[in-house]
Amino acid sequence: MPGATSDSAGGGALVPLSPETKRSPVYPLRHSVGPPVSPRVSVCWARGSSLRVSIFQQRSPPGGEGDAGGEVVEVKLNGGDGEISDAQWRRIAYGSMSPFAMLQSRRNSVSTLSRISPSPYHVDWWEFVMEYSKDINALLGGPESTPASVIEDPKTVLKKSEKPASLKAAWELMELFYVDKLSQAWLPERLVDWLADYDSLFSGSCATVHSKLVDFQNELINIQVIEDNPTYWEVIGSALAVGWLEIVVKLLHLHGSYQLDQLSSRETENGLVEAVAVLISKMPRMRLELGDGRLGECYKAKPDFIKAWEKWRSQITKLDCSAYWIQCHHLQTREGLKNLLQIMLGNTNSLSSATCHWLELYVSHFLYVRPFTVGLESMHGLAQKCIQLKPVPRSQKLMGLLLGILGENTEVVLAECSKEFGPWMVAHAIELMTAGSDEAESLLCEEQYDLGELSLQELHRLVYAQVLCSHAFTWQIAPVYLTSCMKQGMGLLEILLCKQPVQHNELLHKNLEICRLYELDDVSSHIMKIAGVHHWKHGRKGAGVFWLQQAQDEVRLHKIAQQLFASVGKSISDESFKQWEGLIELLGSESKTAGGLEFLHK
Amino acid sequence: MAVTQLPPSPEIRKLPLYKYVDGVRWLPPFSALDRYAVIASFDSDSDTPSLEVHSVSPSKALALASAPAPLPSRVSSLKSASFAQRPVVAASTRAGSLHVMAVNPMDLSIEPAAAAAEGLHAGGASCVDLADGGSDCVSVGEDGRVNLVSLGEGRLRKARVFDANGLVSYTAAKWASPSEFATGGYGFSLHWWDRRTAGGPVSQFKCDRIQEKASGIVHSIDIHPSRKHTCLAGGSSGTIFAWDLRRQQQPIILSGVGMGEGVTSLVSESEIWEIQYDRSIKPSNVGSRMLPVMICSEDGILAVVEEGKEPVELLAEPCAINSFDFDPQKPSEVICSLEWESIAILSRP
Repeated sequence: MPGATSDSAGGGALVPLSPETKRSPVYPLRHSVGPPVSPRVSVCWARGSSLRVSIFQQRSPPGGEGDAGGEVVEVKLNGGDGEISDAQWRRIAYGSMSPFAMLQSRRNSVSTLSRISPSPYHVDWWEFVMEYSKDINALLGGPESTPASVIEDPKTVLKKSEKPASLKAAWELMELFYVDKLSQAWLPERLVDWLADYDSLFSGSCATVHSKLVDFQNELINIQVIEDNPTYWEVIGSALAVGWLEIVVKLLHLHGSYQLDQLSSRETENGLVEAVAVLISKMPRMRLELGDGRLGECYKAKPDFIKAWEKWRSQITKLDCSAYWIQCHHLQTREGLKNLLQIMLGNTNSLSSATCHWLELYVSHFLYVRPFTVGLESMHGLAQKCIQLKPVPRSQKLMGLLLGILGENTEVVLAECSKEFGPWMVAHAIELMTAGSDEAESLLCEEQYDLGELSLQELHRLVYAQVLCSHAFTWQIAPVYLTSCMKQGMGLLEILLCKQPVQHNELLHKNLEICRLYELDDVSSHIMKIAGVHHWKHGRKGAGVFWLQQAQDEVRLHKIAQQLFASVGKSISDESFKQWEGLIELLGSESKTAGGLEFLHK
Repeated sequence: MAVTQLPPSPEIRKLPLYKYVDGVRWLPPFSALDRYAVIASFDSDSDTPSLEVHSVSPSKALALASAPAPLPSRVSSLKSASFAQRPVVAASTRAGSLHVMAVNPMDLSIEPAAAAAEGLHAGGASCVDLADGGSDCVSVGEDGRVNLVSLGEGRLRKARVFDANGLVSYTAAKWASPSEFATGGYGFSLHWWDRRTAGGPVSQFKCDRIQEKASGIVHSIDIHPSRKHTCLAGGSSGTIFAWDLRRQQQPIILSGVGMGEGVTSLVSESEIWEIQYDRSIKPSNVGSRMLPVMICSEDGILAVVEEGKEPVELLAEPCAINSFDFDPQKPSEVICSLEWESIAILSRP
């Protein structure tokens, strides 16, 4: 466009409206409509979540240079924090369709079976949901393990891994509480593992043990005498508090007294370090299993665990009162190790100062103060206490979700899912929530008067289907979700199919294939008629006749026949006969569907 | 049927591309060590269609080999061949243009071999075929035009063979010899053309038996270099048939819905998007029977179909398989494009 400068973009800034106008951000919009700088602007929705902004120049600039013009700009509105790109979301959408469809068909067959003999099939339902959950979890990010190097660097404390996705963290959290019946007895320990995987996600909004470790790891190469460094002991304490035992033991082994040249002179000191390290690696854990290379001793039955726990604590107390401490002349080591013992003994002050945010404190309480906590009610009570002790300045999305789950508040969980993770998450996570409790199931699956007799479950599936429909690549998945909606699904599916463009042969066939799958013969013939008329209008007479024949549209075929007859009547030369030959051939021999086109045979 | 021992299943590698794949072809071999594929992609975020050359590692990982070549419109059909020791790619677009691109064997860059032929078809080209030797293209469209485009001295020479003025629509084309080619279209029709004979097709065929129930469209045709008298076609409702020029009234029907009693096998009930003779089987081993063929379909099937045998499914995907291609060097390896913005590479044992 003539007269376009980059400066003119500044004049076209758009301000999105929001209730709190104080904080509304301003986004500059680039367009090339030249001055005068007060153009007329029209804004409307385009496909998906993009806005179509049309900018018209009011009159041609004085001097007549260039035409009075305008420009249409499409503005993509990007919801969320951009953690997951649009292309990644589409990959998740593609991958989650099959597990969802499989679960729906299982639900249908289970409910058919349970009508015949009610009891034996209901019991295993959570296992199907578990399978579904695992399939979807696999989509949300690969296992974070990087290939282990052959030579282990003793100074690499934290394994480098890609930043995990909070979507995956949220999914796992819901799976843990709602679906996995096997983990119900070991919920506290499962939370410890969960936090170990995802603590780095909280680093954005507050300090974390993970971020402390990362910082220390970076400094590690520059530190000469490690045990003199106060951060060393602080980091070890923090890691111990949240139960990352392998890291603690590894860090303790970096202690200077292990060096061969110092071993003889610092024998007592080394003995104390080693004794603490051994105690840490023998910590009894009440859980189903411990992975390879994980420290601690695993107990499945509560009585065994209590016995081991008491023995372990008595060993700690014994070491705490030992006379060797006086012979340990290194002050930092003595105080550092004593602090570790306090953490292991569950000293609330030590735990509180070793952890950074309430979730870490919460987990440390499970490990060292109340390992026998069972039941959501007591877990929720403890959480409240921890929040009071360590309030978070800014709420974090996973914390809100966890509190909703612990508070057994289905509506809060649903709202958190929707607010923080969007329609995909809600539509798919409802399957997990309904597997968890009857109370949630009745809330989510019952038709609600104020939602126009829809259930919440259906409502959210419809919302997600709308999102799928709005993108040219994903609309083909939407039918799976729409057909799972009893009330309005089929109606919306018919609208979706009828509104797809017919210009391109492939797209048209993909559309008709969906009609065939769902036995929508009326919709199918409607689409064929649209396609027939479209081709006819664009001069592709053969294709037009073909589709109208397929749709058995006698009325339109008759009209077409009249038009053709008129044009044939005018002139039919030898040249054009070759062209007509093909059309006649297409019509075939049967007159049934020819609809008045028989005359061509003559 | 007797239980036959199942053949060992192929090794499958699926690779997300995060862009829609409008077409995929192996490039003819030009390097002893590496293998390359060309992908016609469409990025919806930036609305850009382009042609990309990817190297395919022995572990079947894809890596973009050079900067993508932008195109003005989405690709409707893609073919590759070798021309003057260079891989050439022909792509027809939804806007009706034809682009002939050459890949530089040194730096793998992909650039137009000549200025694009614009406006070949009104309302989109539907199929292009590149003759062996890479200099001649035939392009057909739903507008009923049949065009020949030849590459020479840095420019494209265009010639219109026929214009049906929209009374007939063409959807598929394939060279049979340097002077003959076949086209497919609506109503399961096939036409045979000879560039030495002007004014229309030299022979026409319509599969009348196929019209017993409902008619359909030919989406893809193939002609085997060793059997140039037979034209193989695949299209709507899982229909696969072959037309032997020497026995014009008796098509060989391999599969299809409502094909009558003679046809027992039904490999798919939906659209067959692409059909090719199975290049991994030597014609001399088959005798006078039909050569085995491979198809891909809208309902996500990639399968080998042989006359008188049950079809062998190689892939059964939850989404459509839109195109596939045999590696010319190693025909046991097949690359295919999936609807869900990804590529699959199969290695058959």
